[in-house]
Amino acid sequence: MSNDEQLDDFEARTRATLRAGSESLDGATRSRLARARATAVAQLAPRRRRWQLQLLAPAGALAAAMLLTVLFFGHDRGAPEVNPGSPAALYDMELLADADAFEISQEADLEFIEWAAAMAELESAGG
Amino acid sequence: MHPLYCEGLGLPAMTDDTGQALNRFLAEVERRAFRMAQMALRHDDDAMDAVQDAMLQLARRYGGRPQEQWRPLFFRILQNRIRDLQRRRTVRNRVMALLPWRQDDEDPPDPVADAPDMGPGPGEQVEGEAMLAALQAAVSRLPARQREAFLLRNMEGLDVAQTAAAMGCSDGSVKTHYFRAVQSLREQLGEYRT
Repeated sequence: MSNDEQLDDFEARTRATLRAGSESLDGATRSRLARARATAVAQLAPRRRRWQLQLLAPAGALAAAMLLTVLFFGHDRGAPEVNPGSPAALYDMELLADADAFEISQEADLEFIEWAAAMAELESAGG
Repeated sequence: MHPLYCEGLGLPAMTDDTGQALNRFLAEVERRAFRMAQMALRHDDDAMDAVQDAMLQLARRYGGRPQEQWRPLFFRILQNRIRDLQRRRTVRNRVMALLPWRQDDEDPPDPVADAPDMGPGPGEQVEGEAMLAALQAAVSRLPARQREAFLLRNMEGLDVAQTAAAMGCSDGSVKTHYFRAVQSLREQLGEYRT
């Protein structure tokens, strides 16, 4: 009844009696209350860890999600791998650089062209 | 760095100061809280459980709140816990009443109910422990909401707004419950008015 209104005599007496009764608790009860209080105050320490856990758990989940995204989608398995140092890659580069060779490579009957070229080499060697 | 904020995180932190403040607050209210629970539950162990639970919940859930909020929060938790225990006891008593092998002497002793009922007597002046026992018995007989309003306002000294916050009701309801409680206690303890 702090600020709202004045206590009348009866209210003041009941208040004084009840408060005095609260102070007259036996030792065992006071001891149990003190232990309960200590236990409650000790609960404040884990709270800080819970704050950190609440912050770190979403961050960890986000990092895991990003890692999985990179593993699954960052590695494009549909695209062919090109090793610039391999003979096939060198052949492809020469083919693209030489316009005539590229046109020949687009012909449908490549075997015939190779046969004709081989025959021409034989004739030139024989003649 | 502000002492109430974790370094680098900007989050409320439980510092040693907070622990000491909470310890001081609980030490200041714990005995009255126990008496409140005792008058409501009429059982010492249940009263201790209610107070202990209220302390733990305040520390765990609201320890980071501003200290001026602790008092109404603590007593709201306590009142909720008392109601839970009363409901549980009601259910238990109904179940026990249905059991055919129930023994009538299973009820624990009730020190408040067993306190002498100080009816009006001619010129009788009672002080000290007898007055306390009569008052506690009378408060115990009040309806729950009247008892809460009376104890929070009168014994704990909360103002109307704080009492309303602790009881989860409006200011007007607090005033009504408190007025009726005082009227009822005046009638029951008439001889103690002077």
